[in-house]
Amino acid sequence: MDNRVKIARVQVNLTQQQLAEKVNVTRQTISLIEKGKYNPSLNLCLKICYAVNKTLDELFWKERD
Amino acid sequence: MKKITDERLILKNLKSIRGAYTIQTLGILGILGYDWITRGSEAVFESPLWFIFIVSTTAGLFFSMDISVSHETPKRTPKKSLGISTIIIALISIAVGIFVSFSSKSDSINGLIVGGVLFIVVLIPYIYLYYLRTKQQD
Repeated sequence: MDNRVKIARVQVNLTQQQLAEKVNVTRQTISLIEKGKYNPSLNLCLKICYAVNKTLDELFWKERD
Repeated sequence: MKKITDERLILKNLKSIRGAYTIQTLGILGILGYDWITRGSEAVFESPLWFIFIVSTTAGLFFSMDISVSHETPKRTPKKSLGISTIIIALISIAVGIFVSFSSKSDSINGLIVGGVLFIVVLIPYIYLYYLRTKQQD
């Protein structure tokens, strides 16, 4: 699933490793989320949003195809 | 070992356990099959592996009941379903009990025991289903 996690993470100057530590996952999981190869749970989405100071809409919302 | 907090790895771990369980079950079935061929059915039923196989299969069936209940579209209330099931199980158990009582080498006590055990053993999953259905309605 496409998302804007990478842009938001770069904006707050976090590395994948730092974001991973903040949300209690591994760096590989953050990498897969950014590539759209892993769909995180809503709980993890929220944790990522809190970590990069964005809303769910800003990071994950996608218009219907 | 450190506790896994990553949801992706937890899921991956569960999938690995499922794979290992499948291999283990196939191994058990292979050994039991070999025993059956070389030493006959008696040896299979006496084997502790048979006991493990039956217990794990029964546990698996009970766990999957939760999923089956979530899938079903309720036609009757859980109470009514349990009532109907109990009556049918009781009728079958009585029939089996009577059959055992009148068969050769057995007396009425044997029939009572067989019927009673059958009734209880078959009723337990239906009581569990009743519990799952009522829980789902909440």
